[in-house]
Amino acid sequence: MTNTVLATSLLVAGYEPDLPIVRGVDFAVTKGEIVILLGPNGAGKSTFVKAIAGMVPVHSGTIHLAGRDITRVAPHRKLAEGLAFVPQTENVFASMSILENLQIAVALLPKAQRAAKIDALFARFPDLAIKPTRLAGALSGGQRQMLAVARALALDPPVLILDEPSAGLSPKTVGEVFAMLKRINGDGVTIILVEQNVKAAMAIADRAVILAEGRIAHEGTPAELADDPLIGKIYLGTARHVSSEAAL
Amino acid sequence: MNPQFLMDGLIAGAIIGLGAIGVTLTYSILRFSNFAHGELLSWGAYLALGISGALGFLAAGLKQPIGPFSFGWSLPIAAVLAIILTGLLALAVDAALFSSFRRRGSAIIIMVMASFGASLALRSLLEFFFTSKPAYFTQALQIAMKLGGGLRATPDQLAMLVVALVSVIAVHLVMTRTDIGRAMRAVSENPSLAGIAGIDVRRVIRTVWFLGAALACIAGMMSGLIIQIRPYLGHDLLLPLFAAAILGGIGSVPGAMIAGLIIGLCEAFTVQIIGAEWRSAVSFAILIAVLLVRPRGLFGKAS
Repeated sequence: MTNTVLATSLLVAGYEPDLPIVRGVDFAVTKGEIVILLGPNGAGKSTFVKAIAGMVPVHSGTIHLAGRDITRVAPHRKLAEGLAFVPQTENVFASMSILENLQIAVALLPKAQRAAKIDALFARFPDLAIKPTRLAGALSGGQRQMLAVARALALDPPVLILDEPSAGLSPKTVGEVFAMLKRINGDGVTIILVEQNVKAAMAIADRAVILAEGRIAHEGTPAELADDPLIGKIYLGTARHVSSEAAL
Repeated sequence: MNPQFLMDGLIAGAIIGLGAIGVTLTYSILRFSNFAHGELLSWGAYLALGISGALGFLAAGLKQPIGPFSFGWSLPIAAVLAIILTGLLALAVDAALFSSFRRRGSAIIIMVMASFGASLALRSLLEFFFTSKPAYFTQALQIAMKLGGGLRATPDQLAMLVVALVSVIAVHLVMTRTDIGRAMRAVSENPSLAGIAGIDVRRVIRTVWFLGAALACIAGMMSGLIIQIRPYLGHDLLLPLFAAAILGGIGSVPGAMIAGLIIGLCEAFTVQIIGAEWRSAVSFAILIAVLLVRPRGLFGKAS
């Protein structure tokens, strides 16, 4: 298990104490993987990743990052522990400039390293360097996503979790975002993403995990899942209108 | 018309503006209207009074007026200590009262009601310790200097305007140029994103209380020095403070100060044109007008 970078064990989580949305998920990610989380609406995908990031209370179970228990670590310390999270919406500080967003991101580094880190992020995301004083709220959807990812990568986290990074983007931009994630993964970052845009995500994923009703229903490589006729029908877009409850 | 209303308005406005910065920061970061903020002005003034009195008692030389001013070194020294103590008082009230409501995720209205309670308790304590009789930092009289254009001001008044200006610039620089300032703005915009971006939200909240209380203390001391010190000093300024915070745009430090000056000048103008009994109606009229016409205020973000 030395290659497991992130693992949850019997994780139960939800906004209300008596209303678990994630109902006992055993999940493990190997170093260097891109794992995509799929499932119907309300399956608990977003709640699951938010619970890992500390934005949703964990009722029971554990979360381990590189072997360390981070279940009860405060959200603002998870970044320093090596876990970065990009929420689906409102994932940048819209009232602040690109530069200020990145200054917040590098604030946990020693002062002497910050300027160089921001330069490195601008080199990695050149679109952001064009006008760093621009307000993040004025950016296009794709640039905003890029800024959110740049912010998350500022401390070189081993694990990056993204909640529907392609939501609301044009098809062309979706392609750019996934190409960006593939590059980041190539730099050694393990990526977990929740996605509705199944086709684009399957193209870059090493493994897909399907959640249903707060539990893992299936998992496998994209090829394995695509070959399964039922799963193909429900989740991979061959028959979008089939009710998932009836099919399962 | 006597142009002196400009000077009176600027001074009243500077006091309102400094107080309003605390209101606007608490509102934007802790997300509730803190009706106990006025009491921090009163406590600031009384703490400074108590400390400067004690210093003067221990070393009479400290009471000797500095140059043209009415006060001796005991007051600036007391001011520094009073600022720290007022900040600690705000932190203590938060720890004793508001933090437990935050932990429970209480509704905003509960925080607001709690702040009413805190206001009453803090004010009554002042009346208990100091009685409701007005007090003064100094008994020395000052002659107003002619500034030209028909304006007159005492050296104390001019010094207070400088203190207000320096304080606002300092807070503005903190908010825009420092890590903690950026963190405060980040929490104000989106507390949960701030958390996952590595910002310690609880530390930001403590900073907001301390900073708001420090400015309240300065405003209270200004009011005490230029007018008088009473337990109701801050309470009576509450409406102008909220009017300024809302006119300036919630969360905007320069906005709160500029709006404070606008309200101070409008009040002084009204006193001269209509009569002193209408002074307090000014803030109320401005508050209603802003809420009807431009609820986000002069510099606020559209939500």
